[in-house]
Amino acid sequence: MLAEEYKRPEPLLPKKNWERWFSVTKKGVGAWAFALHRLTGILLVLYLFLHFYVLRTLTQGAAAYDNMVQFMESPILILLEVGLVAVIIYHGLNGLRLMLMALNIGVRQHKIMFWTVIVLTVFVSLIAAILMFH
Amino acid sequence: MTEVTFKIFRYKPGVIDPPRYDTFKIEVDEQMSVLDVLEKLRINDETLTYRHSCHHGSCGTCGMLVNGKEVLACVANVLALGTTEVTVEPLRNAPLVSDLVVSMEPFFNKYAPVEMPLIRQSEYLPEGKPSEEVGSYTRYESCLECGLCLSACPVVATDPAYLGPAALAAAARVVQEPRGQDVPAILQMVDNAEGCWRCHSAMECSEVCPNDVDPGSMIMYLRQHLISDKLKHLF
Amino acid sequence: MGKPHVVIVGGGATGAALAHDLTLRGVRVTIVERGEVTSGTTGRHHGLLHSGARYAVKDQESAKECIQENMILRKIAPGTFELNNGLFVAITDEDMAYHDAFLAGLETCAIPYQEITTQEALQREPNLNPAVKAAVEVPDGTMDAMRLPLRFLATAQHNGAVIKTYTQVTKLLMKDKTVVGVRVRDHVTEKTYDIGADLVVNAAGAWSDKIAAMAGVHVPMQPSPGVLVAVYGRWNNMVLNRMHRSGDGDIILPQRTLSVIGTSSWVVKDPDQLEMKKEHIELMYKMGAMLVPAVKNAPMRAAWAAARPLIGSESGATTGRELSRTFKCFDHEDRDNVIGFVTITGGKATTARGMAEVTANVVVEKLGLDVACRTREVVLLPHTAYYRRGV
Repeated sequence: MLAEEYKRPEPLLPKKNWERWFSVTKKGVGAWAFALHRLTGILLVLYLFLHFYVLRTLTQGAAAYDNMVQFMESPILILLEVGLVAVIIYHGLNGLRLMLMALNIGVRQHKIMFWTVIVLTVFVSLIAAILMFH
Repeated sequence: MTEVTFKIFRYKPGVIDPPRYDTFKIEVDEQMSVLDVLEKLRINDETLTYRHSCHHGSCGTCGMLVNGKEVLACVANVLALGTTEVTVEPLRNAPLVSDLVVSMEPFFNKYAPVEMPLIRQSEYLPEGKPSEEVGSYTRYESCLECGLCLSACPVVATDPAYLGPAALAAAARVVQEPRGQDVPAILQMVDNAEGCWRCHSAMECSEVCPNDVDPGSMIMYLRQHLISDKLKHLF
Repeated sequence: MGKPHVVIVGGGATGAALAHDLTLRGVRVTIVERGEVTSGTTGRHHGLLHSGARYAVKDQESAKECIQENMILRKIAPGTFELNNGLFVAITDEDMAYHDAFLAGLETCAIPYQEITTQEALQREPNLNPAVKAAVEVPDGTMDAMRLPLRFLATAQHNGAVIKTYTQVTKLLMKDKTVVGVRVRDHVTEKTYDIGADLVVNAAGAWSDKIAAMAGVHVPMQPSPGVLVAVYGRWNNMVLNRMHRSGDGDIILPQRTLSVIGTSSWVVKDPDQLEMKKEHIELMYKMGAMLVPAVKNAPMRAAWAAARPLIGSESGATTGRELSRTFKCFDHEDRDNVIGFVTITGGKATTARGMAEVTANVVVEKLGLDVACRTREVVLLPHTAYYRRGV
C-alpha cells in the first residue's frame, strides 16, 4: 500500500458519561460531596412533585386530606420524612459550603467543611427523628 | 523482585475493536514505575502504544489511569500501589487514538488560547519577583499540561464544551500575575456558562494534579475576582 | 514538478529541527517516529541550555557549538528558557587545580563568564555547599526537554510538514544502491505502507545504526546512557556545576519545583534495554550532596536513564565520557556509495538547530536546490501549537 492510499482512522470520541456523576470509588472527599449534592438535588426535585401531589388532595375536600394525613403518620412514612430532613439539610448546608467556596473562602479547607456538613446533617436528622417519633 | 500482573487496555481502530485487556506477568523491583514496566513490555510487543517523554513527571505526556486513578505513569511506583494486580487504562474524557494513547488536541484547543507564558524567565531580573498573590515557587509554570484534571472532572465527563480546570487555572494565574498579558480578554473568556461558572466544586482536579497546581482553588479565585469586579461596578 | 520530498526517520530534537529547517527551504517533509515525539533520548535529557562551559576544556568543538546555539535559541524560542545562568563551583582542592584551565577554556571558546566571590555565590544560592572555594558564572539556562523540540515541530507542521507518530520504519526501500523511500508500520492500525522519498534522513539518534543497517551501511553509533535523578524541592535557581572535568553527578538543575541531579555514563549495545542501576542513583545523591548538601535528604521523584547518541571511536569506548558531544552528518553517497540517504547523529538538544542547518545544507544540495538557511532568525511557534492541527 502507498502512503497516498493509507489514512489513519479518526480517534474515538468520548461518550457523555453520566454515571461519572456518581462514581466515587478511588476519589477524594470532594467527589463524595459532589455526588451527594447531585443525588440530594435530584431527590428534592422529585419530592417537589410528590409534595404537589399531596397538596392536590386539599382540592378534593376535607375528608380526602384527612385520609392522606392519617396515611402519612405511619412509621415507614415518618422514617422517609426523617430521610427527607437529612436530604434537605445536607443539600442546604453543602450549598452554603459551595457558596463559600465560590467566594474563594476556605477552598483549601473544603474537606473539613464537608465533614462539618455531614456531622451537622446527622445531628439535625437525629433530633428530627426523636421529635417526629416521640 | 515481586511478580505483578498487569492488565493493560488495548484498542486499535478496526483491529482491536471493541477494546480488550491484555494480561502480562512481570517481575518488578522496588524502583520500577508503571512506565518502566510498559517500556519493558514493549521490547517484546512493539504494537503497544503509549505516550511518554521525560520519565520524571515534568513533560506531562504519560498520564493514564492506574487502578482507576489518574496518575503520571513515570512517577507511579508499582510496588507502592500495594497490590500485585495493576490495571492500566487510557485517560477519560479524551478522544482515544490507540491503546493508552489519547489525543491532546481538545485539551490544547482550550488551553492554548490563554497563552500562558513561562511566566518568570529569570529569578534575578527585576520582574522576577513574584506578585503578592503568588507564593514563592507555587508557580503556575508547574502545570505539566498532562490532562489528568480533565480526565478526573465529573463536569467534563458530561459537558465537552466546558473550558476545564487546566485552562481556567492558567487564566487565573495570568490574572494574578499578568506580565503583559491581556487580562480583560482572559476574564471575558472565562466569565460565561462554559467558563469558571460551570465548575461544580468536586475538586477532583486538585486531587489528581501531579504537580500541586490546585486548579480547583484557581477556579474559585477567578469567581471571587469576577464577583468583586461586578459588585464594584454596581456602585 | 512538485516540491522534493524528504522523509526524516526519528521525531527527536534533531529530526524536529531538521524538519523546521527543510520546510523553510521549500522542501516537503514527512517525519516518521515509532512512538510519541521526543520519547527516545530527547525528552529525557537534563533540560540544560548549555553555555558550553561544561566542555570548555576537553571538548572545545562542542563548547563553541553550544555557546553559538545558546545565543540563537534565546532569540528564536523566547519563553522556553529560564535564564538564571549557571554557576561552576570549586569544592575540593582538585577542583581548584582545574580553575585556571577552565577560565582559559572559556576564553578560547568565547564563552562569556564572570568570576564571583564565594560570599556572593552563597548569597545567591543559599543551599550551595558552604565549602565553596571559587565560583564562575556562565550563561547556562534551563528548559523543558520536550517543549523546545515541540516548538520546532509545531513550526514545521504549520509550514506543511507531516508528522507521523507511532509509525515505525520496518524497511528502507532501495532501488539498486539508491534509497527511494521507507516501509512503515502504523502501530495505531498495525497496517504497513510505503512512503516514497527523494531523500531519506536518518535522525534516529541512539537508534541510528539500526536504521543505517537497513541500507546495509554502518554508522559508528555508541549509545551511552546516563542516569538522572529528580528530587523534590527547588534547591537552586542557577544551574550548579562542579568546576572539574565533567564526571558523575556533578550538575544540578532546577526544574519547576524539582531539582535534577545528573549524570552517570556507561555504554550499551541496545538503547531499548537500559537497565536502571541502583548504585548510580546512590551515586547521584552522594555526588549531588557535594554541590548542595540538602539534596541528600530530599525525597526522590524519579530516576531514569537516557541513551546519549554519541559517535563512537572504532577502538571502543568504555564509559562514554571520552567521546565528544559534537555531531556528525554522514553522507552515505560519499562514504558507502548508497545514494539518497543521509545520517545525522551525535550532538545535543542545545545544538539541534545547528546540526539541522549543516544537514539541511547537505540535503538541499543533493536535491539540487539553492536556498539559504533561515532558522537563525525565524521565531518558533509556541509548543502548544504542535497539538492544534489546522490552527
